[in-house]
Amino acid sequence: MFVTDCRREFYDVIVSQRVLLLVASDVDALCACKILQALFQCDHVQYTLVPVSGWQELETAFLEHKDQVKLLVKQGDDLDVPAYDDIFRDEEDEEELSEDESDGSEPSDKRRRFEEEVIERTARRRQRREWEARRREILFDYEQYEYHGTSSAMVMFDLAWIMSKDLNDMLWWAIVGLTDQWVQDKITQMKYVTDIGVLQRHVSRHNHRNEDEENSLSIDCMRIAFEYDLRLALYQHWSLYESLCNTSYTSANLKLWSVQGQKRLQEFLADMGLPLKQVKQKFNSMDMSLKENLREMIEESANKFGMKDLRVQTFSIHFGFKNKFLASDIVYATASLMESIEKEGPETTNFIKALDSLSRGNLDKLHQGLDLAKKQLCAIQQTVASCICTNLVISQGPFLYCSLMEGMPDVKLFSKPVSLCLLSKYLLKSFVCSTKNKRCKLLPLIMAAPMDVEQGTVIMVGIPPETESSDKKNFFGRAFEKAADSTNSRTLHNHFDMSIIELKTEDRSKFLDALISLLS
Amino acid sequence: MEPAEAEFLAEKELVTIVPSFSMDRVHLIGGDLGPFNPGLPVEVPVWLAINLKQRQKCRLIPPEWMDVEKLEEIRDQERKEDTFTPMPSPYYMELTKLLLNYASDNIPKADEIRTLVKDTWDTRMAKLRLSADSFVRQQEAHAKLDNLTLMEINTIGTFLTQALDHMYKLRTNLQPSGSAESQDF
Repeated sequence: MFVTDCRREFYDVIVSQRVLLLVASDVDALCACKILQALFQCDHVQYTLVPVSGWQELETAFLEHKDQVKLLVKQGDDLDVPAYDDIFRDEEDEEELSEDESDGSEPSDKRRRFEEEVIERTARRRQRREWEARRREILFDYEQYEYHGTSSAMVMFDLAWIMSKDLNDMLWWAIVGLTDQWVQDKITQMKYVTDIGVLQRHVSRHNHRNEDEENSLSIDCMRIAFEYDLRLALYQHWSLYESLCNTSYTSANLKLWSVQGQKRLQEFLADMGLPLKQVKQKFNSMDMSLKENLREMIEESANKFGMKDLRVQTFSIHFGFKNKFLASDIVYATASLMESIEKEGPETTNFIKALDSLSRGNLDKLHQGLDLAKKQLCAIQQTVASCICTNLVISQGPFLYCSLMEGMPDVKLFSKPVSLCLLSKYLLKSFVCSTKNKRCKLLPLIMAAPMDVEQGTVIMVGIPPETESSDKKNFFGRAFEKAADSTNSRTLHNHFDMSIIELKTEDRSKFLDALISLLS
Repeated sequence: MEPAEAEFLAEKELVTIVPSFSMDRVHLIGGDLGPFNPGLPVEVPVWLAINLKQRQKCRLIPPEWMDVEKLEEIRDQERKEDTFTPMPSPYYMELTKLLLNYASDNIPKADEIRTLVKDTWDTRMAKLRLSADSFVRQQEAHAKLDNLTLMEINTIGTFLTQALDHMYKLRTNLQPSGSAESQDF
């Protein structure tokens, strides 16, 4: 359903009912869920929380809880919704037409009126045909490309703000939701910067007391601060060296999979004047004198080495004496907790653990998540390096294709959608930097990884090409559907993100052939 | 009495809040809870204030004694005197803990206040231990302590009474009695 006024048409309606909350397996959805949970707790709303990872689970959960009154769906991606009037035409217009037709008229003016009526009718019919054509176009555009709109956590925060129930905690979750979209490369740089500006206003509204010495807050209170910080993943909880090696931006630009790349890394560090021993130590134990102007120094040297965007606008959270985290740290930690392959207990434990780690009280879960995230990033970089060195990325014409073999190390990590998407984006970035073929640099990538060895299924992901001005629109959803139809392959289009599918290993080659012919 | 019970009794104390909702007068067995209007301060018991604060429905105003200068004076006064000085509230320790745990963003200089209250508490506990020690040692018959709060009495109460019990039993056993065989307590 389309909702224009979030507060009146949505929140006020559900606040007096019992709510069923279906949440997708996405960090952005988790953050939106936390905000909504906080609002529900303040208003004593009873709710049931069900994590879903695809359309089938959504259906089963809905059928199970059919007697619940109101249904709320939290999706990871908000597709940009066209205007209501462009798609749905109200019934009244139809009736008007038929009323005129059955309108009785005087015999004397009958002829003239009849002609006028005919003209009116044809004009209206033509209008209607144009409207239908436009509608088809809009729906085709809407369904052909898949892309992401505003983060759902930010939408929820907006709702809380409109009701004046917003808190610093909710603001932090909105920030994490937005950063998740940026880490997974789902939104354009413009959109990210615009949304950061929006959140920055809220941050200064909530956190202006920190500058005031007279009335400063207790150190245990949570503070959020705007940072123009380095883009290196988890660098404050790792060593600077590891972080440089395992961040896709630096690893791709310095080409760290080759020997020459390693030399360039040493040159880069030497250019900044950072001794190797210091850089390989845990970041917190690095010399203070080196850490003082670290950001500016790294930015200067990075410019010389062709990395102009090493710094990014983001936020950090600060509570107690020990705990300082950047938004991207939380995103990596939560995502790896959610998709951890260790099976302990029922299927939803990972989801609940990831949800819990977003609360400030559960620091041990957060630290666990950080450790898992470090392992995940290392695994991604090693896989990327081996794929590029062994030329596993082949051009199939209209797209690039890469398939992970079963025997590769850590391949089980990539049987989950978010990890596989992250791997494919990093692989594409590195491939674009490594190849000399100009045409290949503009191609999208399809990545396949074994999902379940016993059932013989493969998970396949399609991502748009890596260009500077990419609008991040993904057409693989429809393409996959059409290819599956035409070859009768046994596929499962279960994920909310239509460009992720599962299919049987045997059907893989004919599916790919169909895709090639479809897209060329 | 458990410390939790003392805290429960402390929650009946009144504190000022500024609500952000409106509600009519509520009649409870323990008393009335005044009409709530957004933006207008109203006095409520601490248990309700904490609950409303957790639901983001009010802003707490710290009691007037919860101020850095006043607490510094109290602490210095306590350190000077040998006996116990009167405290601003019979539940000062519990109130400090509750308000600083749940509403530290409404209380300016919360960290300093916490330190000052702890200092005062430590001084008073030291005096209490000293006085209990001399009481037991010199086998006094009775003692009088003014201005003690319930929480402080709680910390020493059980220990002191049991210690005195033991002392009494030991003393009665020292004196020779008719049948001096049994040594059982």
